[in-house]
Amino acid sequence: MQTLGFFGQYGGIYVCEPLMPALEELEEAFLKFSKDPDFLTEFQHLLTHYAGRPTPLYYAKNLSALWGAQIYLKREDLLHGGAHKTNNAVGQALLAKKMGKTRLIAETGAGQHGVATAMAGALMGLKTEVYMGEVDMARQEPNVFRMKLLGAQVHGVTSGSKTLKAAINEALRDWLANVRDTHYVLGTAAGPHPFPTLVKFFHQVIGTESREQILAQLGKLPDYVLACVGGGSNAIGMFSGFVDDTAVKLIGVEPGGEGLNTNKHGAVLAKGTVGVLHGMKSLAIQDKDGQVSDTHSISAGLDYPLVGPEHAYLRDIGRVQYDSATDTECLEAFHALSKAEGILPALESAHALAHTKKLAAQVSEDTTLLVSLSGRGDKDLHQVMSVTN
Amino acid sequence: MTTQATTRFTNQLHTMKTQNQKGFIPFTLLGWPNADISFEIIKTMIDSGATGLELGIAFSDPLADGPVLQAAAVETLATGFDVDQAFILLQKVRAYNQDIPIGLMVYFNMILARGVDQFFKDAADAGVDGILIVDLPPEGAEEVTAAAKTSGIDLIFIVSPLTTDERLQTILKHANGYLYVVSRLGITGTDNTHDTQLQDLLTRIKAQTDLPLYVGFGVSTPEDAQKMIAAGADGVITGSRIIQLVQDQPNSSPQQVLETYLQSMCNLSE
Ligand SMILES: Cc1ncc(COP(=O)(O)O)c(C=O)c1O
Repeated sequence: MQTLGFFGQYGGIYVCEPLMPALEELEEAFLKFSKDPDFLTEFQHLLTHYAGRPTPLYYAKNLSALWGAQIYLKREDLLHGGAHKTNNAVGQALLAKKMGKTRLIAETGAGQHGVATAMAGALMGLKTEVYMGEVDMARQEPNVFRMKLLGAQVHGVTSGSKTLKAAINEALRDWLANVRDTHYVLGTAAGPHPFPTLVKFFHQVIGTESREQILAQLGKLPDYVLACVGGGSNAIGMFSGFVDDTAVKLIGVEPGGEGLNTNKHGAVLAKGTVGVLHGMKSLAIQDKDGQVSDTHSISAGLDYPLVGPEHAYLRDIGRVQYDSATDTECLEAFHALSKAEGILPALESAHALAHTKKLAAQVSEDTTLLVSLSGRGDKDLHQVMSVTN
Repeated sequence: MTTQATTRFTNQLHTMKTQNQKGFIPFTLLGWPNADISFEIIKTMIDSGATGLELGIAFSDPLADGPVLQAAAVETLATGFDVDQAFILLQKVRAYNQDIPIGLMVYFNMILARGVDQFFKDAADAGVDGILIVDLPPEGAEEVTAAAKTSGIDLIFIVSPLTTDERLQTILKHANGYLYVVSRLGITGTDNTHDTQLQDLLTRIKAQTDLPLYVGFGVSTPEDAQKMIAAGADGVITGSRIIQLVQDQPNSSPQQVLETYLQSMCNLSE
């Protein structure tokens, strides 16, 4: 390996020996193609003409009036596929193709990354198989149908909590067996090096565009930038555009589930301790022996007991503040955006909105809050309706 | 702990290798299905003539394990069997037999959670000779080398059919005791389709080291074992099959279920 990909004490590579050559190969390909003008042109072309970038930066006038701050939404919900996940899936599928891989595998929680990988696989003629916990298959059923219609095979995962952690376990087991011809399209900025770096690279466009757009619209940078954090990919992509602007406050929002005083949440940056799983050293919710806990969140995409290593680092150095929003707050925000602006947000993104509401109540009305609206809520209709009656 | 512990794997496996005797290292999960039966299983392994032991500690997310060992880990954790109890069971095994080399197979998070130094100290005090950390490649070995040295514990490493000669050099800088060669890609289990490059791999490794080569993953029967030996292995490691045998006959004692099988695996020859 050229580097081990540490962010402070977090990151690194903690995998079984048979995966090491694949990670070496991936790092080499990433270092080569991320500087290769032809590759970058091809990626850019796909982002523009296939995925629909740039996505708008939308001034949410009604919500701003309602909550009492200047709220701007980065509309990743309008990206093809319905979430930011497409940036990364298309980037990695392209890379896999260049590496001569013939098969893609992915894990998915909310189903958005699975859908994005299925789209990219269809586009590039790569056989695609997706691992998804059975609990998540039930609560995100529309995305299961989408993946199947896009030609992907969906494997229900029945172990453990039957959610995202278990799906990653199964995807990694598949990769161990099929590493010769298969690329594992990891769906968030987590896992062993080079994934956190590579996934951030493909999502940087969120932050770069947002920065340009807000400067063009407002003539100044925002006061705050907010994003929800599951593994942390939409957040790291967004934050990367502003991390050097030290006056811009960055806030990541974790799933508070039923409250941080219960054990039904996924607030890893608030409650986790240093641990190793899924190929990385990061923070994890775990017991005294290092047994990794099951988490809870209303949103499948945030229901994960670890977090990408760079977020743990950004927390430690004080550059990003991490807060949480509960299931109830998330639902309130979901309805608020739907009614005020006519936009149904993904439940994941609604966590960032929930914190935006709290923040808006504390700051002056002319304060600018830029929020990553990471995905659309169509996948969540069933779940929201079932708890709304 | 003692220098004696350090050399159990090295001495015994190396001696066997020079005398061209083939070895058998059975694996089971500490505490499965409960502490008492687990001890009986391990005792049967020792009494049947095992060369050494490979004992796992149940982990919530055993990424390299197949369905049999995953289920066993879930069952073990459900009984409340924890790492403290694993060390108590290890002490009991060591008290039963002073000579057999004992290896631990663990996921790195369990070591981190206890603290690297504490884990290695507790392991040495319990009579452990070697530790294989499933998800710690040699690139990260420095996180444990000092503790391993202080406690006199061998670090056992995995080599796979994909390991290049260059990687092998890196592994050999840290490896002691023996090398755990995986017979195929994938996870643990009884699937015995072995990698077509296994023989090549064993030849390549031998060109670089004198460490005994023990082949595991998908080695379930004496026939599998003979194939590995014919391909150049110094011995074999079997896990899932042992758990399966005990599972299949819940009303018999481990000794009744395992003795004949274990003895057949121990009588390997060229
Ligand atoms: C719309 C949406 N936002 C956010 C996430 C959380 O992932 P990450 O933290 O990697 O952005 C997901 C994951 O499924 C998602 O679908």
